[in-house]
Amino acid sequence: MRGRRTSARAGRRSLRALTVGGMLATVGMAGVGLAPSSQAAVAHAKSTTITWWASPINTSGPDLRTTLIKAFEKTHPNITVKLETAPTDENTNQTDLVTTLSGGAKTPDVVMGDVVWPGLFGAHGLALPLSKYLPKSFFKRFAPGLVAGASYNGQVYGAPFFQDQGFLYYRKDLLAAAHMSVPRTWEQLRADAAKLAKENKVKYGFVWQGASYEGGTCDFMEYYGDTGASVLNATDKGSVFNVAAATKALSFMRSLVTSGASPGAVDTFQEPQAMTAFADGQAAFMRNWDYAFSTSQAKGSKVIGKVGVAPLPTFAGRPYPGYSTIGGWNLYINPHSTHVQADLTFIKFITGVQAQTIEARPPFSEIPTNQAVRTNPAIKHLNPPFAVLAQTKLISRPAQTPNYPKISQAIYANANSAISGSTSPAKAAAAIASGIKAALSSSGL
Amino acid sequence: MAAIDLTGGTSATTRRHSAPRVPRDQTTRHFARVGWGFSAPAFVVIGVFTIFPILFALVLSLENVNVTANGFSLLGGTLNNYKIMGESSLWHHALWFTSIYTLVTVAAELLLGTLFALVLERLAAGRGAMMALLLIPWSLITVISAELWSYIYNPTYGVLGEFWHAITGGSAPNVLGYPLSATIALMFADVWKTTPFVAIIVLAGLVMIPEELIEAAEVDGASSWKSFWRVTVPLLRPTLGIAVLFRVLQAFGLFDLPYVLTGGGPGTSTESLAMLGYNTMFTNIDFGPGAAVAVSTAVIVLIVCLVFLRAFRQQVGRETLNA
Amino acid sequence: MRRRKRRGWRRYINLPYVGSFFITLFILLPMYWMLASSFKTQSNVGASPPQYFPNPISTSSYHSAFNDGFGGYIANSLIIAICSTALVLVFGTFAGYALGRLPMRGKYPVMISLLMISVFPEIAVVAPLYLILKDVGWLNSYQALIFPYTAFNLPFAIWILRNYFLGISLSMEESARIDGAGSLRTLWSIVFPQVRPGVFTAGVFTFTACWTEFLMALSFDFGKKTIPVGIASFGSQFTVPYGAYFAASVIAVVPIAILVLVFRKAVVSGLTSGAVKG
Repeated sequence: MRGRRTSARAGRRSLRALTVGGMLATVGMAGVGLAPSSQAAVAHAKSTTITWWASPINTSGPDLRTTLIKAFEKTHPNITVKLETAPTDENTNQTDLVTTLSGGAKTPDVVMGDVVWPGLFGAHGLALPLSKYLPKSFFKRFAPGLVAGASYNGQVYGAPFFQDQGFLYYRKDLLAAAHMSVPRTWEQLRADAAKLAKENKVKYGFVWQGASYEGGTCDFMEYYGDTGASVLNATDKGSVFNVAAATKALSFMRSLVTSGASPGAVDTFQEPQAMTAFADGQAAFMRNWDYAFSTSQAKGSKVIGKVGVAPLPTFAGRPYPGYSTIGGWNLYINPHSTHVQADLTFIKFITGVQAQTIEARPPFSEIPTNQAVRTNPAIKHLNPPFAVLAQTKLISRPAQTPNYPKISQAIYANANSAISGSTSPAKAAAAIASGIKAALSSSGL
Repeated sequence: MAAIDLTGGTSATTRRHSAPRVPRDQTTRHFARVGWGFSAPAFVVIGVFTIFPILFALVLSLENVNVTANGFSLLGGTLNNYKIMGESSLWHHALWFTSIYTLVTVAAELLLGTLFALVLERLAAGRGAMMALLLIPWSLITVISAELWSYIYNPTYGVLGEFWHAITGGSAPNVLGYPLSATIALMFADVWKTTPFVAIIVLAGLVMIPEELIEAAEVDGASSWKSFWRVTVPLLRPTLGIAVLFRVLQAFGLFDLPYVLTGGGPGTSTESLAMLGYNTMFTNIDFGPGAAVAVSTAVIVLIVCLVFLRAFRQQVGRETLNA
Repeated sequence: MRRRKRRGWRRYINLPYVGSFFITLFILLPMYWMLASSFKTQSNVGASPPQYFPNPISTSSYHSAFNDGFGGYIANSLIIAICSTALVLVFGTFAGYALGRLPMRGKYPVMISLLMISVFPEIAVVAPLYLILKDVGWLNSYQALIFPYTAFNLPFAIWILRNYFLGISLSMEESARIDGAGSLRTLWSIVFPQVRPGVFTAGVFTFTACWTEFLMALSFDFGKKTIPVGIASFGSQFTVPYGAYFAASVIAVVPIAILVLVFRKAVVSGLTSGAVKG
């Protein structure tokens, strides 16, 4: 880990930045400042070292990142990959990247970043447009829709690394004992969950993510999408946010609490709280991501062998199944990287069949982005969530705009107010609408 | 206007003073030179590492800023960042929340901290151990202490809910789910962590009060309560003043605790000014308005501090400011 | 120690000890919860109802905390915090003495400017400071944090030391001056011993501030991670690794406690002897 940024030392310069005049000069020249040390790149052409910035993906067992690096280095002996463990908190992760990438740092070379970053990073030039360096044929390896999600303004910025999406997890034993079938509508889910909780069959009926954070937006998008409405227009520049639809979605989310289907504390729940309650045997239903299945079957869980997985339900009268929000991670390239060719080689490998098969197999069980791996029947049976993958319907968060963070904040903060009951659903929906409008016109904080 | 004066004052070594000239003798001038010599290393380090970044932030707040891979590109001066900020209900709310939060926590910490210090000062044995104990919460990494409280407050497996259940028989309260209780929960976590800071500053002040003064008061027949108010408190006032001053500064910069514990929720009811500035700068990559939030926060606190110091100076006179 | 006549019920109850008991309880209850939870197994950390005492006792949280090079983070944190504290105390004592006791002009604007530096939110200075440190090639080095920490902690240290310098008695210093002792000697042998509690206070607060600082450490020194930055990459995307957090935190508290005990003895112990009080 030491000496990761040794190349930064090459550009020793005077402290002229400390005068006010110098300050302004620095502002203009900060990025142009250090001439790329191309000599260094040539000298080490035979064995290149690239840095991969990635936060921890799995907690227990072998590390997916180092497993993939080992496989890569075996087939590419001339490229060494140095892993830089990024902060787990996504905001912290992004903060560090914004500071270092806009500051002109040459490392990290390859960055594992969220699927909602293309708009933001693309607009600010903090990621290399991959479509300028890779042929169109390269992007055909990915499952449909993923490349569009990794694009902004006609350029592809991220190579999909692994996908994620919402699933409905349920307790097979509890449903069987109560002679219930897996719910296909939200209304049914609410009724079943409330019944199980009221009859003390289980402490909580349905747990999900209602806290004031990005995950709140993910959950909201599923209910909102199920009404048939969308957030942005086709150009991603105007709002088509439907207040009536949002009111319906928020009223339903609030009713989950008031009906007793979900605990009042769901407005402070993120993934870990929902997961802990479910794995501790305290919840009948849970909305969560792909990881939740293997976690619910890990040592220490009280629901081993009792968990089923299904697509999310939808509102009564709408076609089953409901929408699942897309999550997951892409690989981006630092625009100041001095080893772009090696970076691309690494990305091709990671999104290729061999690496994607590794990540899809246990103990990792991540949803592969490579279509060939995804449709491979041998893979499909390895992990129950993969088996329902083909039935699910996906919805993206409105992230094809640099203003996405503000849009998301408008959504999750107001949705959270509605869920907690401190604002009425109608008022919260109206606040989201005006928040989105303000975000798109770049007025407001 | 005060702020402008102060920026210049930072590089005081070279500054021309407008203060009325008092005739100064040789020795005074000599000692003044010694004084600047003594302070020079500190001023140089502070100057090199803080003035540029602060001026830079001021410039950002007054510019149309675009963050690019080549640094910040400035697209012309504007007051728009401040306009955006002033019109934002998020800013109004954050200002209100942060102010109330500061007022309540600093008052509580001052009272409790003084009490702690008085207890420790009267301790015949084990004062060192108690001081080490006091410093444990203070020295916890804030993010971790926030995680500790989120673990305690957690409504499904938190120990607070378990206590509540044991006492009242009811189900665990959703402490962080309502604006008021979430605010109180944040304040309690803050008081727990920060009271020791006040206690230790006050204790050091107490230890330095000459014993003879208090003994003299008691010989005169004053009760210990009276001697406390008449002798200890006035002598302690400068120390208390500094404790309050720096606690106000820190409390106004509130960030990590709500960032981890509530994420600003429910809704945005516990979003502090620093969180708002941080989100604007690093999450939205909107450095102009973000810098405006940061600068405005600094200016507001500074004005509060100046008013406080002024009131304070009149009361205490010589000791605090112009010795 | 001060002796007072105790009247009535106070003769039977030692108030300072009773008070200390409650203070200890107030501080230790949450700390106990942290300590106890750091010894729980992964699944018992989230058990409901919670375990008041870890059963079985497990050190797995400590293993996972140390797995990721935690020893190195402690070393980095110690080096950076000790160097910054030493610089702050040396520079701060001189400046605090000068601003407190020497007849300099323009002290008021200086003190207020120092205040302004402490006021300024860290979030606003990180990006420009990054550019400076990158320009001088200091990123990922110890000095990348030592000097900014020194600069940002000096204002508080100067303020608090100056306050203590103002509070000491003048007579000895003046007679030393009349005797013709140099300023440095006066400071060292007459004035400094009297402000030891102030030095202790400033030192402890500077150290803890450096020990817990996060944003600058994250941005400037990712190659030389300090404890808070190291902890930030614990766990994985959907987990809150409470056990590992608490274990790391328990370990991180130990150096602080040792430091306070040792440092306090060295700095404050001479004070009560009365010799310096003249």
